[in-house]
Amino acid sequence: MFRMLLFFLVAIGVIPFPVSADHSPKIEIVGSTTVLPIASRAAERFEKLQKIEKFKSSHRLRILVNAGGSGVGIHSVAKGRSDIGMASREISPSERKRFEGSHLKVHTVAVDAVACVISSEIYEAGIRDLTRQEIRDIYLGKIRNWKEVGGPDRKIVVVDKERHRGTRHVFMNYIFGNPTAKTPGTILVTGSNNEEQTKIAQSDSAIGMLSYAWINDEVRAIGIRDNKSIVNLTRETIRKGNYPIVRNLSFITAGEPNGEVKAFLEYLKSPEGQQLVEESGYIPFT
Amino acid sequence: MENESHGIMWVFAGLNLIFLCCAGGLFLFLIFESYPIFKLHGFDFWLGQDWWVGEAYGALPMLYGSTLVTALACLLVLPLALAVAIFISEFLTPTSRRCVKAILELLAGVPGIVYGLLGVSFLSLWIKDVFGLLDGNTLATASCLLAIMILPTVLTLSEDAMRSVPAEYRDNALGLGLSKWQTATAVVLPQALPGIMGAVLLGIGRAMGETIAVMLVVGSLDRIPDPWFNIFSSAQTIPSKLGREAAEAIGEGTHWSALMALGLTLFIMVLLINFIGNRFLKRRSIS
Repeated sequence: MFRMLLFFLVAIGVIPFPVSADHSPKIEIVGSTTVLPIASRAAERFEKLQKIEKFKSSHRLRILVNAGGSGVGIHSVAKGRSDIGMASREISPSERKRFEGSHLKVHTVAVDAVACVISSEIYEAGIRDLTRQEIRDIYLGKIRNWKEVGGPDRKIVVVDKERHRGTRHVFMNYIFGNPTAKTPGTILVTGSNNEEQTKIAQSDSAIGMLSYAWINDEVRAIGIRDNKSIVNLTRETIRKGNYPIVRNLSFITAGEPNGEVKAFLEYLKSPEGQQLVEESGYIPFT
Repeated sequence: MENESHGIMWVFAGLNLIFLCCAGGLFLFLIFESYPIFKLHGFDFWLGQDWWVGEAYGALPMLYGSTLVTALACLLVLPLALAVAIFISEFLTPTSRRCVKAILELLAGVPGIVYGLLGVSFLSLWIKDVFGLLDGNTLATASCLLAIMILPTVLTLSEDAMRSVPAEYRDNALGLGLSKWQTATAVVLPQALPGIMGAVLLGIGRAMGETIAVMLVVGSLDRIPDPWFNIFSSAQTIPSKLGREAAEAIGEGTHWSALMALGLTLFIMVLLINFIGNRFLKRRSIS
């Protein structure tokens, strides 16, 4: 009885080790949910291309794409937990300093705008644009009702993002001049673009910030008003550089990329890769 | 033969030691990792109300949120669980009892994310409409969701406790002329109390540690509601905070240390609740 039990224990201990040897090449990509659609589209196509090229090779390239936010992307590539990081903002000076030894290299593939978005109910009620000062006051909690900016008599659900999110950095940098601005007016904090989109769509009086590709009929982008002139968010205004809140979407590697990672990044910058950028709803980086 | 069973006992003791070491090791790890933040802020860490990464780390809103959400969930779940447990244990026939129990135990195994998504798509909207709120992501929503999540566990374990009260007790009570209802409430319920307490403690443990479901509906706002008893405003709990920020801070730095200190706080809270629960039970059994 005892010998059987011992054998059993030894058997459990031994079995898993020889099985886990898997040598097929793998690229792990982690980070911004804004860049994610580009990465997952590209990963799918690139895996297929590899399959055709290396037809006889038994090892198939696998690309794993995971979300987490720009901060997570930069952090994990710098720490060697992933091969490529995705970021929808610049690497901040403090991150540059902290990860100096990792020699982070930025490969920009697309241009995106961060929209100030509102629930469709408010959009239909006539709010089509706001000034920077108004948005600032809403996030500071000085303006709490839509009627103060010419909308219906309804309280504002101010939706903010987690502080390490790239979209928030870019948006707050424009509104407050400070990427980590404090926003006492906040009612809800969300994480990914998907989560924020859902929460704003579910509400009938919300304001928030979203990447250009996430705008739809329930979550409407508003224009930025400045001295009577209004800049609306369109592909044209992003391309021409008129819309004020734009940013680069990038992939980040620790040091110069090589091998499969290099090939993947080159594919993203190729005309075919840039076509995928367009399909994902962003502006190709030229 | 004697020798063999002795050997098995040692194997089992060894396994037991592994589990003890895991619990102890986790506790020590949390203390070790959170030491820098306590060195920096001292016990103000638990009293501070502001959490700004890189500037201030105050855990009070998260502490408050976790406590309130769990307490509310318990308040919601207890009457319901007890009522249904009494019904299943004392009034159902054995066959239908097994059926109901099987379904309940199935529910207890549903992962948190499923509840979370249901919470986002239905519960938060219902709560918003029913109470006429500005937004449905509130403390109350999280509590309701948690109550639904821990109900099967609390219910099925309470029922087990009632069921395990010896049949002679019931027979005696009925023989003395008590009604079935009186037997259930005056004889079975008090006898089953330690088991019910254990069920509730297990439920509290799960409620306190639940991350993803709470994270999706609680609003994730690091602020104590104003006024403090306003359960219809968004707030933050400890696991939800960890879920949102851990990936960014992982491994080192003050931020990580602060998050680990939050983890330690949760660990201590669950420990305390279990300790108090056990004390309470012991005192009862002595008297």
